[in-house]
Amino acid sequence: MISRRRFLIIAGSATGAVLLGSSQLEKALASARSESSDPSKPLWGMIVDVDQCTECMNQLVAETGNPDPKPECALACDRENNVPEFREKKWDPQWFKMLKVRSNLEGSEYLWVPLLCNHCRHAPCAQVCPTKATFVREDGIIMIDYHRCIGCRYCMIACPYNARNFNFKEPLDGLTEINPETDRRGHGVVEKCHFCVHRVDRAVKEGVNPTPACVEACQKEAEKRGFEKSALIFGNINDPNSEIGKIIRTSKAKQLRPSLGTEPKVYYVNL
Amino acid sequence: MAELYFEKIKGDSKGYYALIIFLSLVTAWGFYGFWVMFTQGHETTGMTNQVIWGIPIVNVVYLIGASAGSLIVSALSGVFGKEEYKVFSRMAALMAALMIMGALLDIFLDLGKIEHGLNTTLYFNTTSIFSWNAFLYTSYFIISVIYLIAMFERKDKLVKGLAFLAVGWAVLVHSGTGGIIGFIYSMELWHSPLTAPLFIISAIASGIGLFIPTLVLTFKFTNKPLDENLIKSLAKIMGAMIIVLLYMFCVEIFTRGYVPANLEMLRMQLFDLNTPFPVAFWVLQITIGMLIPLAMLIFPPTFRSVTWISIAGLLHATGVWFERYILVLPGLAYPKEVFPPGYVMEHTPPFEYAAVYVPAWPEIALNIGTFALIFLLFIIGLKVFELLPKTELLEEVSE
Ligand code: SF4
Ligand code: SF4
Repeated sequence: MISRRRFLIIAGSATGAVLLGSSQLEKALASARSESSDPSKPLWGMIVDVDQCTECMNQLVAETGNPDPKPECALACDRENNVPEFREKKWDPQWFKMLKVRSNLEGSEYLWVPLLCNHCRHAPCAQVCPTKATFVREDGIIMIDYHRCIGCRYCMIACPYNARNFNFKEPLDGLTEINPETDRRGHGVVEKCHFCVHRVDRAVKEGVNPTPACVEACQKEAEKRGFEKSALIFGNINDPNSEIGKIIRTSKAKQLRPSLGTEPKVYYVNL
Repeated sequence: MAELYFEKIKGDSKGYYALIIFLSLVTAWGFYGFWVMFTQGHETTGMTNQVIWGIPIVNVVYLIGASAGSLIVSALSGVFGKEEYKVFSRMAALMAALMIMGALLDIFLDLGKIEHGLNTTLYFNTTSIFSWNAFLYTSYFIISVIYLIAMFERKDKLVKGLAFLAVGWAVLVHSGTGGIIGFIYSMELWHSPLTAPLFIISAIASGIGLFIPTLVLTFKFTNKPLDENLIKSLAKIMGAMIIVLLYMFCVEIFTRGYVPANLEMLRMQLFDLNTPFPVAFWVLQITIGMLIPLAMLIFPPTFRSVTWISIAGLLHATGVWFERYILVLPGLAYPKEVFPPGYVMEHTPPFEYAAVYVPAWPEIALNIGTFALIFLLFIIGLKVFELLPKTELLEEVSE
């Protein structure tokens, strides 16, 4: 028999433990809610102005007569990162996709919206990866270690944005030129956009603002077409004085599938 | 009840060797399928960047289930002290160990980079249910092997303790496998708190379903008398589990369907005849896999016959394979809606509505080959280990 005294001690400590545990849990849960921003610690992100993309793409469609042309930004991504081109679409890796989207009311106009890895703050892909081959860098870039990846594809299932591609085939088979600056990878692993991490690292070392290949191509294209501004802006979200930092702080930039709480660092305006 | 003694089978009949040769050939074909996938890459499969998991994973999920079910059957005697179930507890434990081995094999052989496969053991990601499962599956395999050895050595106390541990572990393993599907919040058709319990229930049901015909056939070919009541009591457990399963499907579908955003994907899964899903669901899973076996167990003339009960078991075991198929594939075939509700995306292949996935022969070979390997090792096991009760004793018991 348990004496009353002992019972009280056990019950008391059990209650204490539950309270302590739940307060810890609450703290852990609450930490997901607020974000500190130290400008000296960069957190890289991107903003997409959907109006600009739509304008540019509409012109491109009119010029080429191709209803689904590959824009300069996507081509630049392919070249920069050795993303192969395969005719069979079910295997064709695309780090940067241009998608056609419209409101579901009949007669609505189409928008062109680029989709790339959102570099989620709470990245489902890194959450599920069994080997930590997918990992989060301190500056928020989500990376894949191709030497560690076992090709289980669980990350592709977990990614809410279809950002990842599996190498069904040897990438070399679909390449005409090779950029030696990007990591090589073979068939059987998963790959995706990494914000041109080699450019980011180089720029940081040189103390300048990094520009991923797509952003650079977008700027050139905007200039060529005489647009006032380009569609893609890249920069340090933590810095309230950076261009991207300012736009995000207007609270008008949106994230995709916000209800999941993945908190992407790719934002959209005019969507 | 008299103490049970076990024996090996002679295994020198023509039929035995013919079966060995046949199963070896099928296993070899399966291995060849794997070899093609391995050397030529996953382009030889029917998978796409949208439907990124195919039938090998369906098989994995199925085998883990059947293994857990088999182990629970085996542990019945230890856990509930049902002496009469001891007759088959060794056989069932071997089956459980072989099926988890088959599951591990299928996961492993389906990897894109098998050479890197051991990384799962070198690096542990605490937030990855997959990482936990890598640990759970291997430890589960080891526990079932130790449990089997303890039975061979007739260490009764240890067997009893291990039986409890094994059942607990089987439940853990199954909740983990449920988590692989149920935790995924990027797809509404996967995300569900019911997946884990559903897995456990259908593991027991399909484990029994597959085990009954195996048991009946093994005893038949070795000319051993089998107590019909044993089969019937197992079948009753299976029937009860099927009823619970049907109930849980209803709960899940109605809960999902209540969300307007989910209607379209449910319509695809349940009614769009351009996809294979309605047939797999209504005909193979629900009707053939559950309603008909249930009816056979309720209807007295069929319930009286061990043959019919075996058929019911086999039908149900097949139905559960399609249940796993429905669990994995419709979710993948429905494109992830990336943009806010109220927007429609013009889908570009392969990211499209009802994305096509037709399994290619290497995948099919891998799946069938795995089953062949399991049964091959099983019948070899019958010859090598003392798995079956001694015939004379059984006769005594049944008199
Ligand atoms: S968009 Fe997908 S791949 Fe990119 S970080 Fe988020 S979950 Fe990972
Ligand atoms: S495919 Fe590679 S990166 Fe993706 S979850 Fe598996 S091991 Fe991680």
